[in-house]
Amino acid sequence: MGTDLLAALIVGGGLGWLADTYLLDSTPWGMVIGLVLGVVAGIRNAYRAANAWPSQPEDPERKG
Amino acid sequence: MEESPLHPFELHNYIPLSIGGLDISINKAVILMWVVVALAAGLMVMAGSSRKLVPGKLQSLAEMLVDFIRNIILDTMGKDGMRFFPLIASLFLFILFCNLLGLIPGSYTVTSQIVVTAVFACLVYGLSLAMGFLLHGAKFLGILVPPGTPGWLLPLMIPIELISQLARPISLAVRLFANMTAGHVILGVLFGLAISGGVMIGWLPFVFTIAMNGLEVGIAFIQAYIFTVLTCVYLGDAFHLHGHDDHAH
Repeated sequence: MGTDLLAALIVGGGLGWLADTYLLDSTPWGMVIGLVLGVVAGIRNAYRAANAWPSQPEDPERKG
Repeated sequence: MEESPLHPFELHNYIPLSIGGLDISINKAVILMWVVVALAAGLMVMAGSSRKLVPGKLQSLAEMLVDFIRNIILDTMGKDGMRFFPLIASLFLFILFCNLLGLIPGSYTVTSQIVVTAVFACLVYGLSLAMGFLLHGAKFLGILVPPGTPGWLLPLMIPIELISQLARPISLAVRLFANMTAGHVILGVLFGLAISGGVMIGWLPFVFTIAMNGLEVGIAFIQAYIFTVLTCVYLGDAFHLHGHDDHAH
């Protein structure tokens, strides 16, 4: 689950940095906002990954 | 004698090869991948060759594996996920054999190279995107809007969902790579301690090395399983856009 947090942080910060340097010329703000959104997205991903886990194959209730 | 614990991850070319500037040299990782493919394919072909009603040892092992993968797919994707069975079974077997063969002292862990895991992750994620756009067309962009989002939240939710989508292949690749690398670094450090400690104290880290090796066998299985499950989850998300309720957990 920790990887989810880290990966989203990298993507968020990276997208923000890209927007800063190549699109908007707004240097620190794009990356700041990107990092904040990355934290949120990471927590969301970790939560979702925890929810999406399949039940154990031997669990009899899930057969139907 | 002092050796970096990262030394085992270095690759040296045995046979330098290059086609049009593209480096396709044969090194330890390439050879190990061939061995893995040969072993995994050999096991399944051997097991499938007899097809008895009452299976022998090899056949029942293969049947257990197939049933295990089938259950993962049915649990995460539902019935129509079964068309991905060949892909997912191959991925699972390849990663599992890579992880397990890497634990033999002196061999090489292919999955400790981020290039390998990243290629798998990009393949899986690219396939899920392609499936999504093929099945749902432009409506697939709706994956960026979770169901039940109020309209005024859209400017916030779309960037967050975009980031969380783009983070998926990265976390998929890094998880497998980091777990395998970290395990082997620990093994290397412990064994280095055992060597440098001599007989008097060195037996203690040596015992730990053996215990860690056993733990790593478990991790090899778990990481192959996790990679497979997440592959199924991502493909399933592209498959049933927001339609998870029919097999809710």
